[in-house]
Amino acid sequence: MAAKKRERLDVIRDILQKIKENRQIKPTRLLYASNLSPQMFKEYINELLTKGFIKLEIDEKEKKTFSLTKKGQDFLCEYKIIENFIENFGL
Amino acid sequence: MSLYSLIVENKYILEIFYALIISSVCMLIVLKTDRFYQLSLHRGIRYFRNAFFFYGLAFGARYLFGLFSDFSLHYAFVLGMVFEYFFVMAGFFLFYSLIYKKVESPREHYKSSLLNPKIFVFHMVALIIAVLGYLWQTYYFMFVSQILIFFCSLIIVFSNYIKSGRQHKFLKFYTIAVLLGLGAWILNLLAALYFEWSKIVMMNVGILNIIFFLLFLFGVIKVTRG
Repeated sequence: MAAKKRERLDVIRDILQKIKENRQIKPTRLLYASNLSPQMFKEYINELLTKGFIKLEIDEKEKKTFSLTKKGQDFLCEYKIIENFIENFGL
Repeated sequence: MSLYSLIVENKYILEIFYALIISSVCMLIVLKTDRFYQLSLHRGIRYFRNAFFFYGLAFGARYLFGLFSDFSLHYAFVLGMVFEYFFVMAGFFLFYSLIYKKVESPREHYKSSLLNPKIFVFHMVALIIAVLGYLWQTYYFMFVSQILIFFCSLIIVFSNYIKSGRQHKFLKFYTIAVLLGLGAWILNLLAALYFEWSKIVMMNVGILNIIFFLLFLFGVIKVTRG
């Protein structure tokens, strides 16, 4: 039986959770961990950057890493409540 | 003095209090849901929040309507039109929060949820209903539109309850709230058509409305308690 397709909010939660676990994570590692196609991954990452949930840091060797912002941490804490709200109100 | 005559004698003061209480309840719901929207940017939460924002405005206008109706008939009529417009918009937003997934594609994202091509249609219909009501000096257009909207909402909410009412307990209360809302609109229409705005019927409408909003406040507080 095919696994249930992840909802958009679940994907965001999973990405943020992965970043939180690693504190800082390289884009390629995050792509593998997120289990998304490169195209979808790019869309989600852009969205998370725009929303201010994550930030991209580039060090002096041009190495890129993602880390969680305060807003991203707040989202992870409230994710369950938001999910519960959406389901209870049929939104 | 009976409770009924006490209510009738203090009708205006009670109406103002009633409008103030409901607009405060709506603002509480808006504040609670806005925080979740800012965190998640979830479109359903956005439309749900907008519904109560417009209900709050509608009852705010009704509060002013109550204040002005004794002083100037002209202001009272204009405020009545504004009140109708906000009310119809609120009903549309509540309904749209339930069906937006079927109307909008997941990638569709509008900067403004108050003014975009889809919501513009609601604004136009609400405006037409309010203007027709003003020209004919009647609330029938609003009543009929809201009865239709609440009837459709009831079908959707009830099917949500049948599908996942066991896991998500508030769906039952949501169904009850929409049923009460529908009942209030039908009573409103009946009061206008057959009972010449009977005070007893209108009192029952008021009670149904208060329960409707308190049920939503209860749901928002209970579900978001964390």
